Amino acid sequence: MTKPGPIEQSGQKNDPYVCASCGNCTLVCPVFRQMRWEPYGPRGKLSITKSILEKESEFNLEFTRKLFLCTLCEHCTTVCTTSIRLDRFWELMREEAKARNLTPAPVKFASESIKRTGDPFSIGRASRLLWAEGMEDIIETRISAKAEVAFFLGCNVSLKHPLHDVARSMIKIMEHAGVEYTLLGEEESCCGAPLLWAGEPEGTPTMVEKNAQALADLGVRKVVFSCPSCASTWISSMHKSSGTSAVRKMELLTASQFINQLIQKGLLAFEEQPMITATYHDPCISARVLGVGKEPRNVIERIPGIYRVEMVSTEEDTRCCGSHALLNMIDPHLSAQIAEMRLRDASVTPASLLVTECPRCEMAFDLATITLGYSVQILDIAQLVANSLSSEEGEGDVQQ
Amino acid sequence: MKIIPQELEDIVGADNVTADDETCRIYSEDAANLPGIAKQIIDNQFDVVAQPVTVKSLQHLLRYAMEHDLPIVPRGNGTSGWGGAIPVKRGLCVSLTQMNQMVHLDDYACTVTVEAGITWRELLMILERMGTTLPVYPSSATAATVGGFVASGGFGIGSAKHGEIGDQVVGIEAVLANGKIVRVGDVVVGPQPDDLHDEATEGTEWLSDKVGGSIRLNEVLSGTYGTLGIITKVTLRTIPKLQLRPFACSFESIADLAKVAQIMIDSALPYHLRYLDNNHTSKLASLIGFPAEWDKFLLAGALHGTIYDNDDGIEAIEKIVSENQGTLLDEKRADFHWDERLYPLRFKRQGPSLVPAEVTTPVDNLPDLHQDTLDRLGNSKFAVEGTIGADGVASYLVWILDDERKKFRYTIGWHRSFDIASLARKHEGHPYAVALWNTRHAKVFYGEDKIAKLKQLKKDVDPRNMLNPVKVFGGRAQTAWHSQLFGFGVGFILTFGLLFFGPSFLGLTRAGDLLTSFPLQFLHVQLIWYLSILGGAVGLLAMKLMTLNQALAMGIPLLRFLDKFLNR
Ligand SMILES: Cc1cc2nc3c(=O)[nH]c(=O)nc-3n(C[C@H](O)[C@H](O)[C@H](O)COP(=O)(O)OP(=O)(O)OC[C@H]3O[C@@H](n4cnc5c(N)ncnc54)[C@H](O)[C@@H]3O)c2cc1C
Ligand code: SF4
Ligand code: SF4
Repeated sequence: MTKPGPIEQSGQKNDPYVCASCGNCTLVCPVFRQMRWEPYGPRGKLSITKSILEKESEFNLEFTRKLFLCTLCEHCTTVCTTSIRLDRFWELMREEAKARNLTPAPVKFASESIKRTGDPFSIGRASRLLWAEGMEDIIETRISAKAEVAFFLGCNVSLKHPLHDVARSMIKIMEHAGVEYTLLGEEESCCGAPLLWAGEPEGTPTMVEKNAQALADLGVRKVVFSCPSCASTWISSMHKSSGTSAVRKMELLTASQFINQLIQKGLLAFEEQPMITATYHDPCISARVLGVGKEPRNVIERIPGIYRVEMVSTEEDTRCCGSHALLNMIDPHLSAQIAEMRLRDASVTPASLLVTECPRCEMAFDLATITLGYSVQILDIAQLVANSLSSEEGEGDVQQ
Repeated sequence: MKIIPQELEDIVGADNVTADDETCRIYSEDAANLPGIAKQIIDNQFDVVAQPVTVKSLQHLLRYAMEHDLPIVPRGNGTSGWGGAIPVKRGLCVSLTQMNQMVHLDDYACTVTVEAGITWRELLMILERMGTTLPVYPSSATAATVGGFVASGGFGIGSAKHGEIGDQVVGIEAVLANGKIVRVGDVVVGPQPDDLHDEATEGTEWLSDKVGGSIRLNEVLSGTYGTLGIITKVTLRTIPKLQLRPFACSFESIADLAKVAQIMIDSALPYHLRYLDNNHTSKLASLIGFPAEWDKFLLAGALHGTIYDNDDGIEAIEKIVSENQGTLLDEKRADFHWDERLYPLRFKRQGPSLVPAEVTTPVDNLPDLHQDTLDRLGNSKFAVEGTIGADGVASYLVWILDDERKKFRYTIGWHRSFDIASLARKHEGHPYAVALWNTRHAKVFYGEDKIAKLKQLKKDVDPRNMLNPVKVFGGRAQTAWHSQLFGFGVGFILTFGLLFFGPSFLGLTRAGDLLTSFPLQFLHVQLIWYLSILGGAVGLLAMKLMTLNQALAMGIPLLRFLDKFLNR
């Protein structure tokens, strides 16, 4: 039994020993909260790793399964007493699993699909514009147009039918605000994040660079993402990017950050809404990695007639929806249970609308409303904003 | 003792039991990184772990364990490091974490009743949303369970004003080792149907008869580390949530710090009071960055009161601090240290391992104990911190940095932990906890009278010592085969040496001849070899019969000698 290589190389090989066994991480871990046994929580997995390093346990299929029953939500990292980058550690362990040919089948499928079709679902480029149904005229002029702003949809929004309205909503917002924007259309590829989650990080920078260079060639300076994981993958890849300086200088924004900018510039006008109580769910990556928490709240607050209430565990302390890092493909049942757990936090508030800014969260919560039998409307922040825009441009409650 | 997991599944449900090796290994650990040698004196892996969800299933589990001579150990979230929740003789781990509901909040009586497995953080979150809070909770609140802290006793956040956790307990429901359900004190279960009422009444009467008013009933279960019963519900005192006003001050010397702390405690000012020594602040400064406090002694805490009281309190603190050569830090630093109260082990990053030594001492004695610690630990890297209680007694926690991967050096370095415990005795203190590793100090910890009564009660409720064996009351350790082999080797060599050199040294030629004779005609083996094997067998038997305290009494000086010899 050899020592896990990527951990050795990454400088994180002390971490299993550094762990103070305080349990902070385990008690916040969504997977542990469902599975209820220590080996599924971060503290337990570190203990197993230590035992592997001490040659007392095997890096086997069972341990690999535990490594992949993780949403890489980073909650463990933010509460760790001894500042262990646990999310990074789990990624490194996934690399080790890959090196040992232990990667679970659904993960292999996702990574192979990306290489084959440019998306993790094996759907293919030809379907990347199906979302534009009904607005083909507008979209045709925008694809590969020269512009300073680009809208990067990501695979979920482009390819999953229930999320198509998220893309259409962002287009409505940009049109309403008079933003000159561009789209890659069928040329858009996966951002590469699933490769990181699959333990194949070497493939990610190429994916990022391919998309980013195509946008840079169109003169893009600002990219708006409908998925925070795409944004975060770009941000971390760009630091190391060997691409042109145009690529490295791009401003990368989540939907709420971008919409908030439009509001600050007074470019959006809203119509009074019929007194809706809404709560905002912070997607893990937005809140914990990108530090985006104030912006979406500001956006919601600026829409007249929407009353915002908070769930427990917000912003950096948010709880995962259960479908990040391919868990929804690896163990859909567990993933759905985690979504239900988070939705219960909303169910004890008076909210009839749950807003978020991550397509996976939206899909997960949509399903959970059915399995829980709890009726709450789930909307992306772009959908909420697009639905609340005044019908005539320039009319309504123009924010200054 | 043979464990049949299916039988346990019938009691607590199939999803709530596992005999998986890896899982049992993980549940057999607590927060301490024990050196490998510890495995020589305790049999350190559970055979099976169960997570009961009801009091009745826990009761059946206990009865099953007693009938089958199965050692049974209660566990919260394993955040303690004194060995209370680890196995000594294999057996069954009962994790209470699935019994984690809030049972009843009584606004009028200012109490809250919870199941034992709820974490303090979860409870605080619920209470604070309702405008109340807890007088005391541990700095491990994020993971520690209510049952675990109540069973251990000790100081926490809020102790400067409200004392120890035991003082906050209004009532405890537990299943005793003999399977009787008891409710001591006032366990408020609220308006819901109470299926356990009759049985609990009968059990409590039985316990009262046994204890006969000699100790407070709460003390039977609080501070006894789950050796007499397993706590299932706790009713705790609550207090109204008022303004929390953190403060922090730094000093050049621990003497000034101790003086200020004593004045603050005497004038009943703070809700919470925590201190760090200069080693700790320096090491933290390089980790999470607060250079202004580099090499300073830090006293941090919070006031909890009305805005007006707190304004006056801060003014008073400012005066006390400046009169005693201290500096009151700004609000930002104060808030930072308040947030850090839940992260006392940050410093472990510089280890990667820690050898802990946790004791108590009156605040006045802190400077002397600190000086003695510096002298004793020589050039070891360590840091000190502690919490100060309302009675002026401080916990004094010494974290000694080490590296468990250097197995031999790490092992011999463990004597330092026990040395600090002995040092505390010199300064009117004692180990912070008894649990497993400090049973030698049980008399000082509990007082002679109380420990005698607890021992009698242990005999009554658990005559075969099956519930959390060896903890608190001591007992025979389960030595591993290496130790037994060691015992045999020592016995053999000693006997051989004695018989080989003894007769000629004493001039007993006939005895020498006898020893070299061949007692059994068919075997060409001299008598001295038979006797040496017998000596080895005695050594082995001694190892098997040795109590944990005897093992420690022999082992610690040996480690100390080796450490000196290697000139650490
Ligand atoms: C970061 C950190 C901070 C800490 N801060 C403090 C502090 O401020 N004050 C302090 O005193 N300690 C502190 N500790 C030590 C420890 O956290 C506490 O003793 C804690 O209360 C233990 O809770 P637990 O649920 O983890 O119990 P465990 O560690 O699992 O068990 C502790 C003991 O209680 C017994 N036990 C557990 N549950 C039950 C039950 N339901 N019935 C009967 N017996 C039971 C176990 O057998 C064991 O003997 C700290 C530890 C860490 C890692
Ligand atoms: S990243 Fe999230 S799911 Fe994974 S171990 Fe950490 S807390 Fe658990
Ligand atoms: S929070 Fe960090 S130090 Fe604490 S148990 Fe988890 S990994 Fe270990």
